[in-house]
Amino acid sequence: MSPAFEKHLNLLDYALSSLWRRKMKNLGIITVFAGVIFLVASFQILTSSLTSIAETMLAKTPEIVVQKMSAGRQESIPLSYLNRLDGVFGIRAAVPRIWGYYFDETSGANYTVMGVERNAMPEGQRLEMVIDGSYPDAEPGGAALGREVAANMNLAGRRTFSLFRPDLSLKTLRITGIFAESTNLLTGDLLVTSLDDARDLFAIPDNLATDLLVYVTNPNEISTIAKKIAARLPDTRVLTRPQILKTYKVVFGWRSGFASICLLAALAAFAILAWDKASGLSVEEKREIGILKVLGWQTTDILTLRYWESLTVAGLAFLIGCTAAYFHVLFLEGSLFRPVLLGWSVIHPSLKILPVFAAGDVLLIFTLSVLPYLAATVIPAWRCSTISPDAAVK
Amino acid sequence: MMIELESVNKIYNQGQPNEVQALYDVDLVIEANSMVCLRGASGSGKSTLLSIIGCILPPTSGRATVAGKQLSRLPDRFMTIHRRQTIGFIFQQFNILPDLTVQENISLPLLPLGVSPEERRMRAKVLIERLGISHRQNFPAGQISGGELQRVAIARALINDQPIILADEPTAHLDTKLSKEFLQIMVDLKKTGKTIIIASHDPLVTEKPEIDRIIDVTDGRVDVS
Amino acid sequence: MRPTHSLVLIILFLLILDTALYAHVRFQQETVQRPAAHLNDIVTAGLGLTDLCLATEARYTRHPAVSDPIAPFMDHLGAMEHFPTGSFWAPPQD
Repeated sequence: MSPAFEKHLNLLDYALSSLWRRKMKNLGIITVFAGVIFLVASFQILTSSLTSIAETMLAKTPEIVVQKMSAGRQESIPLSYLNRLDGVFGIRAAVPRIWGYYFDETSGANYTVMGVERNAMPEGQRLEMVIDGSYPDAEPGGAALGREVAANMNLAGRRTFSLFRPDLSLKTLRITGIFAESTNLLTGDLLVTSLDDARDLFAIPDNLATDLLVYVTNPNEISTIAKKIAARLPDTRVLTRPQILKTYKVVFGWRSGFASICLLAALAAFAILAWDKASGLSVEEKREIGILKVLGWQTTDILTLRYWESLTVAGLAFLIGCTAAYFHVLFLEGSLFRPVLLGWSVIHPSLKILPVFAAGDVLLIFTLSVLPYLAATVIPAWRCSTISPDAAVK
Repeated sequence: MMIELESVNKIYNQGQPNEVQALYDVDLVIEANSMVCLRGASGSGKSTLLSIIGCILPPTSGRATVAGKQLSRLPDRFMTIHRRQTIGFIFQQFNILPDLTVQENISLPLLPLGVSPEERRMRAKVLIERLGISHRQNFPAGQISGGELQRVAIARALINDQPIILADEPTAHLDTKLSKEFLQIMVDLKKTGKTIIIASHDPLVTEKPEIDRIIDVTDGRVDVS
Repeated sequence: MRPTHSLVLIILFLLILDTALYAHVRFQQETVQRPAAHLNDIVTAGLGLTDLCLATEARYTRHPAVSDPIAPFMDHLGAMEHFPTGSFWAPPQD
């Protein structure tokens, strides 16, 4: 082993044993620091996982969604609009759909009720594969429920339930199937019926639908065709698949940005604490540095020593914090953040997700945590390393 | 010649209102393998003189040559290297780190030299045995007696085999018996070829027959007798 | 044992733990997530879904991709914060 390497090992040894000598203080700092990093990393992992999940799960989202707008609000779209799309070249299919929210007074939960003519939809024939049971269009009055809806309704073995129409008359539905658990993040709050049953439940007239889904022959022309539709139907909003997919990047980017700013305040406070701790040298520390310098330690040796100390504290805190965060998201479903992420809704789909933790995330957290700590301690370290040996020894 | 000072002046806080001149035109020669005593009251400039000889402070003006190197020309970095190669210090307060063990304290100067832990232990062990503190080897330095601390300080001053030993008021905190023991160790060291400089006004030291020379320091001036 | 060795051991332990966690996730992805991926595609395409079922309290959190940016204010004039979700205040109940 070269003397230069052995020297660094010696200094690291010395740094570790002097950290250990003040173990209560230093373990405290590592714990607090790891806690802050844990929070930042958990949020980062959770949001970047959700972004990537949204990207993969929604890859087959409708190519074009047409909504009618009136006075700044979305309202039901007349089916006659379908005829006005006839002349647009490149449209493979246009499918009317009825969907909306049903507020369950007893539990306070919102269900998403969805009625769609499955034979007109891509993959519509294979929907049975994701339903434990059958698709509810064999005969009128059937419904397929998401797992969270079924759990929330407290069915206790019953196969039928009733919902209120807008005029408060009851509509009874029969459960034909439950959606597969692996699709819970998409179907948790769904209540799927036939188009006619959804129309009946919401009392939407025969000539109206909630929105139109448009499919094109050539996926490369989605945006061109969307423009054509918008020109033909000026009172509609036309959303395309790329726009829908972008939403989640924006939403979660916004969310994690918002949270990061909150957590940055915690980091800043911690950096101030680190500065304060490292700059307020006690008499004993000054004396120790003086003794070491008289005994032939260079200014750079003392600086290296301090640097190893800071790096050990920050590095350990970083590793522990990130590991704990990964653990938190993977096995505890980010339970610490559930109240923040899930808001005041009653239905809480489980966040059973496999964390995605890219190199970029690691780097971001490193930059937000370890680097400020090193920066906050390096100047005090330099100041204390330049203590004159004679001043310290007297 | 081990140490040679020529019209050395030392001024603290030069150019500031609290400027103090500690040494005035000091001329001094100390031969190799001699044992000398610097005698002076506190505030006489004795400690400053010791700091200059010990390569801790550069002189403000004049020439100071220690073990063949002229100090005033050396940058701080090289002064440190020169110090650790040539000077072993024994302080009045011992300046031992109480949380480290005896053996760790003794081998402190070897850490930045890149000496491996095994060799550090070995070299410390030799000195520990020579000074008769083997039974305290792994004790924290804060738990041993004053006389033992003194020996730890001596061992630390010898670990790098430096040719010059500087002792600042070494007997101030020791009783007569321990003081005599200390002086005997110094005499033995002199026999091995070391140059020994003791700053003290303790009669036990100044009247020791093995002292080659007594140098009186008064108000920043040196009176060689 | 030198203190450095202890530190290296601790770091090694954490890194091995991280690698194991990562391997676990990759394994789950291959054995559980990938086989089920086509189910998600089927349900998304078959029903024309546009959003993840994460927060169900209002249309602008359940379906952010297809609702108006001003929807929160139309629904609840008093919805102080509606984004990321209404985490801290529920809208006033009249």
